[in-house]
Amino acid sequence: MQARHGQSSYRDRTDEFFGIVESRRRSIAPAAENNVPYGGGGRRREDPRSAAANQSEFSKRASLIGLAIHQTSQKLSKLAQLAKRSSVFDDPTREIQELTVVIKQEISGLNGALLDLQAVRNSHNDESNISRDTTTHSATVVDDLKNRLMDTTKEFKDVLTLRTENMKIQEDRMKFFSKISSKESANPFVRQRPLASKPSPSQPAPLPWANGSSSSSSQIVPRQGEAESSPLLQQSQQQQQHMVPLQDTYMQSRAEALHNVESTIHELGNIFTQLATMVSQQGEIAIRIDQNMEDTLANVEGAQTQLARYLNSISSNRWLMIKIFFVLIAFLMVFLFFVA
Amino acid sequence: MNAAMKITALLVLKAAPETTDPVILANASDVSHFGYFQRSSVKEFVVFVGRTVASRTPPSQRQSVQHEEYKVHAYNRNGLCAVGFMDDHYPVRSAFSLLNQVIDEYQKSFGETWRSAKEDSAQPWPYLADALTKFQDPAEADKLLKIQRELDETKIIIHKTIDSVLARGEKLDSLVEKSSDLSMASQMFYKQAKKTNSCCTIL
Repeated sequence: MQARHGQSSYRDRTDEFFGIVESRRRSIAPAAENNVPYGGGGRRREDPRSAAANQSEFSKRASLIGLAIHQTSQKLSKLAQLAKRSSVFDDPTREIQELTVVIKQEISGLNGALLDLQAVRNSHNDESNISRDTTTHSATVVDDLKNRLMDTTKEFKDVLTLRTENMKIQEDRMKFFSKISSKESANPFVRQRPLASKPSPSQPAPLPWANGSSSSSSQIVPRQGEAESSPLLQQSQQQQQHMVPLQDTYMQSRAEALHNVESTIHELGNIFTQLATMVSQQGEIAIRIDQNMEDTLANVEGAQTQLARYLNSISSNRWLMIKIFFVLIAFLMVFLFFVA
Repeated sequence: MNAAMKITALLVLKAAPETTDPVILANASDVSHFGYFQRSSVKEFVVFVGRTVASRTPPSQRQSVQHEEYKVHAYNRNGLCAVGFMDDHYPVRSAFSLLNQVIDEYQKSFGETWRSAKEDSAQPWPYLADALTKFQDPAEADKLLKIQRELDETKIIIHKTIDSVLARGEKLDSLVEKSSDLSMASQMFYKQAKKTNSCCTIL
């Protein structure tokens, strides 16, 4: 991987170099041409030279970036080797982490530099008239650098995933080892499966009587009496090892239970608060209902009074008499006027 | 809920690190679910396994051992060791809190006399037998478990309460609408009555 990177960087460098040389030659040639027709055009002369200067600055930057990418990829390959090498013991964690940080910084720096380069190229393209070849050349260079940076980043990511996988495998292996030691001491009587990976001198001794004692409880008593002393020592040692995790487990389970209880109580408190809010809101609604009913009562009572008065006014004959009287008077008037 | 969680036996032993044979101070076992002929052998087995586990438990340490279908939990506190034979379903934490209680109770009732015991004591200790029957339900032994269970029940009840309060809220909403409609209608009624009453001339 390293050689390939070196090779690709060398090859591309050559192309770049040729491109630079050609562009320089081309820029110097039109500069020479421009000098002849426009004698006093000093500005014109400066233009292609500035173009050449810009071009060389661009190529200088591009070459710097290419070199940095190459260095980063070298570091990355070293990191990959370190990550692959990981075993249970002698873990170069700190070096790996340092390398990771350094590579990450370099990649981000390269990213920024590449963006600057692109901006520079764009600005130069805009201000001075460079030939089409130079524009395509610079575009190709920038694209190539971007691709290489992307490849480097991808490889970096792969190395990191490899590293996390290895770490997970290590953790599982360690857990497996500790579980094996706990299993050996937790089953002092029976059911010891042959643990091929963890060599233990006590294995052959417990096995014969362990297999035999799985039958019934009555047979355990005489067998255990004879084979007890030999595994006792080793198991007591291993018990010491896994006793601390057992204490931790016990304490941890107690702590977890306490946490659960506390969170449950907290939730209950929340629910009670919500309940109180809902009930108070409903209390407002109930008060509104009460007011509505009172209004209705008042309205109906008023209406009833009106109707009672109306009834009185209808049932009383006073108005009727007055009306009949007026009608009679009117009739009399008419009668008097027309007849007499 | 889990299938019946059972304690088969509870033992209190004096575990002296010098001698390899702990001395049994109290023994309570429930062998009712074994056949009649197996009971004595099971008792022997309990005694022997208890002695072995107690001898292997270092002081002020807890230990759980899996043996056939039983879990044997042992707690050694400064030479006084409590061993319990539970089945797999019994939660480990409750087992150890039960052993804690047993040891505390023993120290309270017998003080330091057990340190001088040299042979297995044959007297039954009624507290242990009571504990055996009482603590078949792990919630009794483990206060945390009991509290958790009660909290869960309370939570269920509260959820039901909230549901009924929501229903009440809906009913109150419909009531408030109906009452506002009613008040509108009565207002119209009143206006109408006033109109027919005040405008006099009846013909």
